[in-house]
Amino acid sequence: VHALGAHQSAAPADPALSRREWLKLGSCGFGSLALASLAANSAAASSSAASFSAAGPLAPRSPHFPAKAKRVIFLFMNGGPSQHDTLDYKPQLYADGGKTGKNKQKLLAPLWSFSQYGQSGLWISELFPHLAKQADRLCVINSMQTDSRAHPLATPLLHTGSFQSVRPSMGAWVLYGLGNPNANLPGYITVKPTRTFGGPSNYGSAFLPSAYQATRIGWEGQPVKDAKLSHLSSQEVMPGVSQGVLDLTQTMNRQLLQRTAGDPDIQGVIDALDLSAHMEHSVPEVLDLTRESASTLAMYGIGKERTDDFGRQCLMARRLVEAGVRFVELANRGWDQHSALDTILPKRCQEVDQPIAALLTDLQQRGMLDDTLVFWGGEFGRQPETQILSGKVALGRDHNATGYTVWLAGGGVRGGLAYGATDEYGYEAVENPVHLHDLHATMLHLLGLDHLRLTFRYAGRDFRLTDVYGNVVHDLVA
Amino acid sequence: LGILDKVLSTVDIQKMRYAINAFFYPPQGDLAMWIRRCLTGRLNLTCLGLALLAYAPLRAAQPQTQAGSPQGARQRGIELFEKYIRPVLVDKCYECHSKSAETIEAGLELDSPAGLTRGGDSGPVINRLEISGNSQQNATAAKSGQANQATSSLLLRVLRHEDGLPSMPPDEKLSEEILRAFQQWIQLGAPDPRESTGVSAAQLQFERRRQHWAFQLPLAADPPAVEQADWPRSPIDTFILARLESQGLHPVHDANRATLVRRLYFDLIGLPPTPEQVREVVEDTAPNAVTKLVDRLLASSRFGERWARHWLDVVRFAESSGKEFNFTYPHAWPYRDYVIDALNHDKPYDQFVVEQIAGDLLPAEPYESAADREARLIAPSMLAFGPKRHNSGGMDFRMGIVDDQIDVTCRAFLGLTVACAKCHDHKFDPIPTKDYYALAGIFLSTEPLYGTIKQKYSNNPTDLLPIGPNGATLHAAASAYEKKIVAAEKPWKAKQEELKKAEAALKAATLQKKEAAKKASADKKGTSDKKETGEPNTEKRLAQTGQPVQPNGKKLAAGKSGVTKPADQTPQQAFDAAVAQLAAAGALVTKLKGELAPLQTAVETLKKHRPPRPPYAMSARDRAKPADTKIAIRGDFRKPGATVPRGFLSALEVADAAAVNPAHSGRLELARWLTSTQNPLPARVMVNRIWYHLFGRGLVESVDNFGLMGKKPSHPQLLDTLAVQFSRDGWSVKQMIRSIVLSRTYQLSSQVDATCMERDPDNRLLWRATPRRLSVEVIRDAILAVSGQLDLEPPQGSPVTALGDQMVRGVDPGKLQPPSNHRSIYLPVVRDYLPDLFDRFDFPSPSLVSGRRTVTNVPAQALYLRNSPFVAEQALHAARRLLATGKTPAKVTGQGTVKGAKSVKSPADAIASRALVNRAMRWTLARPATEAENQAALALVRPILNAKPPIKNGAEAAWATLFRALFATAEFRYLVDIEPATTTTPQATPITDAAKINGAMHLAANRSASLREEIP
Repeated sequence: VHALGAHQSAAPADPALSRREWLKLGSCGFGSLALASLAANSAAASSSAASFSAAGPLAPRSPHFPAKAKRVIFLFMNGGPSQHDTLDYKPQLYADGGKTGKNKQKLLAPLWSFSQYGQSGLWISELFPHLAKQADRLCVINSMQTDSRAHPLATPLLHTGSFQSVRPSMGAWVLYGLGNPNANLPGYITVKPTRTFGGPSNYGSAFLPSAYQATRIGWEGQPVKDAKLSHLSSQEVMPGVSQGVLDLTQTMNRQLLQRTAGDPDIQGVIDALDLSAHMEHSVPEVLDLTRESASTLAMYGIGKERTDDFGRQCLMARRLVEAGVRFVELANRGWDQHSALDTILPKRCQEVDQPIAALLTDLQQRGMLDDTLVFWGGEFGRQPETQILSGKVALGRDHNATGYTVWLAGGGVRGGLAYGATDEYGYEAVENPVHLHDLHATMLHLLGLDHLRLTFRYAGRDFRLTDVYGNVVHDLVA
Repeated sequence: LGILDKVLSTVDIQKMRYAINAFFYPPQGDLAMWIRRCLTGRLNLTCLGLALLAYAPLRAAQPQTQAGSPQGARQRGIELFEKYIRPVLVDKCYECHSKSAETIEAGLELDSPAGLTRGGDSGPVINRLEISGNSQQNATAAKSGQANQATSSLLLRVLRHEDGLPSMPPDEKLSEEILRAFQQWIQLGAPDPRESTGVSAAQLQFERRRQHWAFQLPLAADPPAVEQADWPRSPIDTFILARLESQGLHPVHDANRATLVRRLYFDLIGLPPTPEQVREVVEDTAPNAVTKLVDRLLASSRFGERWARHWLDVVRFAESSGKEFNFTYPHAWPYRDYVIDALNHDKPYDQFVVEQIAGDLLPAEPYESAADREARLIAPSMLAFGPKRHNSGGMDFRMGIVDDQIDVTCRAFLGLTVACAKCHDHKFDPIPTKDYYALAGIFLSTEPLYGTIKQKYSNNPTDLLPIGPNGATLHAAASAYEKKIVAAEKPWKAKQEELKKAEAALKAATLQKKEAAKKASADKKGTSDKKETGEPNTEKRLAQTGQPVQPNGKKLAAGKSGVTKPADQTPQQAFDAAVAQLAAAGALVTKLKGELAPLQTAVETLKKHRPPRPPYAMSARDRAKPADTKIAIRGDFRKPGATVPRGFLSALEVADAAAVNPAHSGRLELARWLTSTQNPLPARVMVNRIWYHLFGRGLVESVDNFGLMGKKPSHPQLLDTLAVQFSRDGWSVKQMIRSIVLSRTYQLSSQVDATCMERDPDNRLLWRATPRRLSVEVIRDAILAVSGQLDLEPPQGSPVTALGDQMVRGVDPGKLQPPSNHRSIYLPVVRDYLPDLFDRFDFPSPSLVSGRRTVTNVPAQALYLRNSPFVAEQALHAARRLLATGKTPAKVTGQGTVKGAKSVKSPADAIASRALVNRAMRWTLARPATEAENQAALALVRPILNAKPPIKNGAEAAWATLFRALFATAEFRYLVDIEPATTTTPQATPITDAAKINGAMHLAANRSASLREEIP
């Protein structure tokens, strides 16, 4: 009875199941007989107070208007992928490679060939053979713009909409706006985030309550196999002790709840403890990839050297969103090709190509792609010209904030669309430019959130993800 | 004539169009204006001929100054204004840019000459070029100038819908003719014949907003009359009770003694009371028992450690720079200690503020101790440890710091969000942009000393303040010594260079010799009369001749380039020469190496014996050339506007404030202004902060915002009375805390009263004590206190000091938070890398000013308390400590006496076990266990004690589980009523009341309870 309210808020679809689950957990615990009388005493107070748990910071909330997407998988390609060699087809750049460009360096013709794919005939380079098969699901924005072409500024900008000040990350805003649909799991998870360029503030909550910050799994550079979520279990001297400890704590808490006439904060503590017990159980289960079939693992490229790590991340992401996590960010580093474009970029593409294609397929097969918004992109893109490094011409491209490419998929976006365009070489967006703030506004829009109304009062004014900018790009919405 | 024809056609059409437009599109609801415009139009038609003559030169875009005096130009301008400009302004602009506008967009008022001249948030909209003198030269210069000025005027650019600017009017573009008229009018000096409409809307708004309660001086009020006259114990209580009575509410019972003791320990020193400490006060029957306790706690050094943390939140204290490149700040910690000391010594708050803004500028007092002097030099660290982008440079970097300094200064001391005025006049508060830059001038004239070293991405190192006994001397000695090292390195490095060259020469000579040997040997094969091979021969020859080698690398190098190889040399001769050269080169290298060694040793020795450096602190100082700064248009310093003299906030007129001395930054004057009793805010803001920490909610709920968007005070008279008392009684923080905690209001129980709960579910009127969660530092300290592991000795410095100057991302996270048993305030505050526990329990971001913490209840906290190694380890320590007390006879009050409880391993030793449960409860919750709890606890512990086969260290493990359970309880981390020791079964709330209460709480949760709207 006690935790019923919490479960109603957590899983409104099936309160009966939650209740059964709770009873199972709560009644056959360690030393439960001795606790029975106490529990009975506090039952009256807690059942009526239970409804208050809905007011917790993570309680699910309705969007501003009907949402197309319910959750986000954010694929961060750290470093700034080269659009010229992947998703922004520039025939003129092939033709004029070697000529001097407007920034006084030689134009660098794309090193790989493009073809058209799918019904939509989207142009995709040979670096993404798997993704190319998903062409009709991709909503490619070729006309992205951001405010800085320096990693240290552009990275927080992508994640928080600001580089001047520490601001809540997009995931924190989303969690603040929509709450956590499955209280048994963290609502916002970031896998292997970078420690550079703002580090944790890229997934922090800044002035929003800290409940909205991301739960981190691993660090950049660490194999995701070894990355764990902390404090999910403890060393026990004998079986059942952990449950016994929890039972005693909760018994005392319920007694206190009664003494305080159902204080909502005390109820909150009780709910959080109950949920923590569920998390102990559900998180390892969700993160356990061995529960997947061999064919699924193979589809994601798990077990193959180059795709193993990102494949695991993608499969993990699918399992997490499937279990109800609102916002998952995955990261792949090393997209900063100032040189060695010819050797490194293919490696990066190989690492993510098959896993991402598998993720889209998998989501589709499970009927989840329609309401899962997938984002792919870096903090900016790259230049059409070669770069001079230490006085020598390098086979690489410098940063570009005035025109670059990202893509969205699922979650109510128009698939098979190439939106906007850069000039003939891909220096800058010339047709339908989409500023990063517009992208943020659009992503929130797809989640049913009006970026103008998703505000939080801090330091005397109402802040939002898009600051004073941002227009929803309705053309991207299906 | 041709020109006239052309002019005629344009003017004619234009005028007629206007007349027709005016007739067919009457301004809504304004008949008078419609008539006027139609008349204007008809007049235009009637007087066309006349107008043509007057406008002919203008139409031709040839404003000839010789054709008219400045007065003439003005006259023409006015005519243009009346015919073209005014109608557009009235028709298209006033809706958003006049006094009658609902909100004045972009801060631009176009309905008065003053507004037009002043411009908006983006600065002036008209670039006027004064036409002066009549000389031809001036006129020509002026002419081109005028054209430029006109076209560059923001007004015209906006009207032309230029890219990158807002397009005005928003929905349409004015005709070319009208645009041309605007241009000419501006070229003519934009004369404006309209009558001044008095003060501008901005000024009106400023005056209106200045009437806000917080900008009026606080006045002490007499405590109001109350019905329950025997209830109040202090004026605070009278104010509170009066408000309660006015709403038909009443205070609940007083808290019992144990509850009060626990509350006071946590609130004042942040540590749990030991059972003995509880008993001492509970059993003290003296009427001043609580007063004695309060005084004892306020006198404890632990007090400063508790309350300093509150202040560190406000000033966003941290030990790294944060932002995208996060550099360590190894020398921020002295500020932390400064705040602790200031609070422990009850430094008057006004002095505390002055020191943090301008401690370095205070005149030395005659009897000032070295420690006092050092303290006030450390205090301005507050201006130095803010988040910074060390990778930026120049004005970008400096302005970033200044923005942060203005923000923290105004929010911490004044509760005002001045940062909003950076780009435009504050949207809500009477803070014009010029005030922002008046402050910016002060801080731009200040150099914050934060240290750091020059390294990749860190471009802006500064000096630091050497501290400690002989700090300056040690620093001077160390600096002099560094110079000595540099001096010693000079010849060493020169010699190294020399050696490098000699070695290169040796390498070349070796090669040359090899070549020569090859040639000589080939030659020999040809002649074949000599048997000797090159190599040994060389050695022998060299040994025989003993030829002195010229130690001249340069010559050898020159030789290499062919000088020593005349054409007539035989291969053998060339070989011999090469051998000689090689020998010389080798000898040179040997010699140089010999010379280098002592030089190197000297440097190494010097480096090895560096004198000790003193500890350092951050600080601030005035820059060499203090100066006023310019308004940055829309916050962009690349677009400078008018210069603003350094000064303070104009909304807060402080009668006794001194103007900024132009020779100084103005920080000292700012500090005096900030702490003047004539300044209505500082005392109120600080008193409110104190109140917040003692009640969990400020009298003004928005503790960092007293502006128009802040919350109104729940008890304005009480706030003001306390503020006046605070500044009158020497700004003593301890006295203020003392008078609040000794009030009956503070000492209320947290018991729920159904009526009050229904009327005021949020307890805004303080009819009871609101249950409060302890802050994360206190939770951690309490766990360590219970486990007996807490190290109360303050540590020296900070672990960040040992890390030195580096980028945080390169540091192993474990080293950022090394294990520590010190109080939580001493844990390193590295931006973005807080201790795990802090992150989970609502520690505020140290990059942001946070006077108030959010309190959340989330599973991540529960997971930490249940499963973290830290809690498990402390539970084990607590268990060992508990068992150690059990081994000796110990008196346990409340639940009887235990004698000689030797071991709890025996399950039969029930009494001893019960005593241990009670003791564990007293340690953690300041109360004994109820009977039911005792049973439940033993049910948890016994199976482990009795496990078959026995568990290793079973007793410890068993009792540790009890502590784990207790640490995770709500009661452990909440300040709630403690049940009196005699009560073993909880008092059930009568059903009817309970239903009422629950109903009221439900309302509370739905944010629709009755008093919410009434109580600000």
